[in-house]
Amino acid sequence: MPGVKLSNGVVINFDGSARTLLDALERKQLEVNFHCREGYCGACRCKLVSGEVSYINEPLAFVRKGEFLPCCSVPVTDIEIEIP
Amino acid sequence: MAYTTFNRQINDQMKEPMFFGNPVNVSRYDQQKYGIFEKLIEKQLSFFWRPEEVDVSKDRIDYQNLPDHEKHIFISNLKYQTLLDSVQGRSPNVAFLPIVSLPELETWIETWAFSETIHSRSYTHIVRNISAEPHKVFDDIMLNEKILERAEDVTRYYDDLIDGINLYQRCGEGTHSINGETHSISLYELKRRLYLCVMSVNVLEAIRFYVSFACSFAFAERELMEGNAKIIRLIARDEALHLTGTQHMLNIMAAGDDDADMAKIAKECEEEAYAIFRKAAEQEKDWAEYLFKDGSMIGLNKDILCQYVEYITNSRMQAIGMKAIFSTTQNPIPWINTWLVSDNVQVAPQEAEISSYLVGQIDNEVDGGDFGDFDL
Repeated sequence: MPGVKLSNGVVINFDGSARTLLDALERKQLEVNFHCREGYCGACRCKLVSGEVSYINEPLAFVRKGEFLPCCSVPVTDIEIEIP
Repeated sequence: MAYTTFNRQINDQMKEPMFFGNPVNVSRYDQQKYGIFEKLIEKQLSFFWRPEEVDVSKDRIDYQNLPDHEKHIFISNLKYQTLLDSVQGRSPNVAFLPIVSLPELETWIETWAFSETIHSRSYTHIVRNISAEPHKVFDDIMLNEKILERAEDVTRYYDDLIDGINLYQRCGEGTHSINGETHSISLYELKRRLYLCVMSVNVLEAIRFYVSFACSFAFAERELMEGNAKIIRLIARDEALHLTGTQHMLNIMAAGDDDADMAKIAKECEEEAYAIFRKAAEQEKDWAEYLFKDGSMIGLNKDILCQYVEYITNSRMQAIGMKAIFSTTQNPIPWINTWLVSDNVQVAPQEAEISSYLVGQIDNEVDGGDFGDFDL
């Protein structure tokens, strides 16, 4: 079960009950910006400090190195992220 | 280099830059230098919709019952949206098609601009429904000072680019005397105008449109003008795709692998890019002042809309690698997000004419057994 570490030190376990990382973050009442939730608008862009995510569907939005879209991804390893 | 509609030069399209290489000859999509534009085309086509599919008849009653200052907010916002899509429905074609060099990008530009024409048609659909005199609404767009002020900045970069391309394609690089006037153009200057134009288009689609969406959805949050909101939701879904397209163009340009000049230009124009964002944000705040001049509405006022302008400007700048220019970090209208979720857009298929639903009605599976009772 990969862990998701936030910049404030809190760790969320991604136990598979949430479909995406965005869902998992929202269940913990974390505010992440979002629009399309399908990977084409890029509004939910977050920083991926360490670890690896995989995409459920390949995002169309531009994702630069060190960023990822939580709306269409799941963690593969333990990850550390920063929500803008 | 003069434009030709079917360039006879045999070239490897995979080696052309996005712009200012050879004009495109064969429209082929079996290979793409940038697969993203092919994917954007596919996505945009899957989004196809027509304004008539959305029933806006209840909006007429809602509109008649609005107090005057809210009528002003609604109709001014709609006029502004009409201006923006009038520009976007034609300008990408006129400005970018004569200089594009990749078939997938060429078709993306055409697909993008076409969807903007659907948006323009939907404004007529909306206005016809709420007003017995739609011509008055449209006629005022050309007379309304506040809207025309906006038009100036929205179109300036397009017009500079188009003017430069005309000169370059007719006369080539250098200083030319035309009808007694002297004009100079260089390819580098044209590329600079292109970069600034794409930047200003990105600002139009990523900030200006979203400020107007906020106003449309603020009515619908109160269960008013819901037909209009349904249409704006479809428009917003398209716009998200368009601004992803311009963000990709800007990022490809800045990276420099496509055209080394563009990376240099991106650096040289950094200050000007910041200025474009800053000016657009200021104008949108002025616009908020005009919208709410006679009073606020529940859920939205001048200050909240101004905060949203700052928030969305920051977030759009960061998306293309720029630094935020405002201190606002929180979205003052978080409810807007639920209006922008794509899977909420399609209501029950039987209630609206959704192409995928209709296509699904036809059974394409045929095997030999289906002809079993056929006698010849």
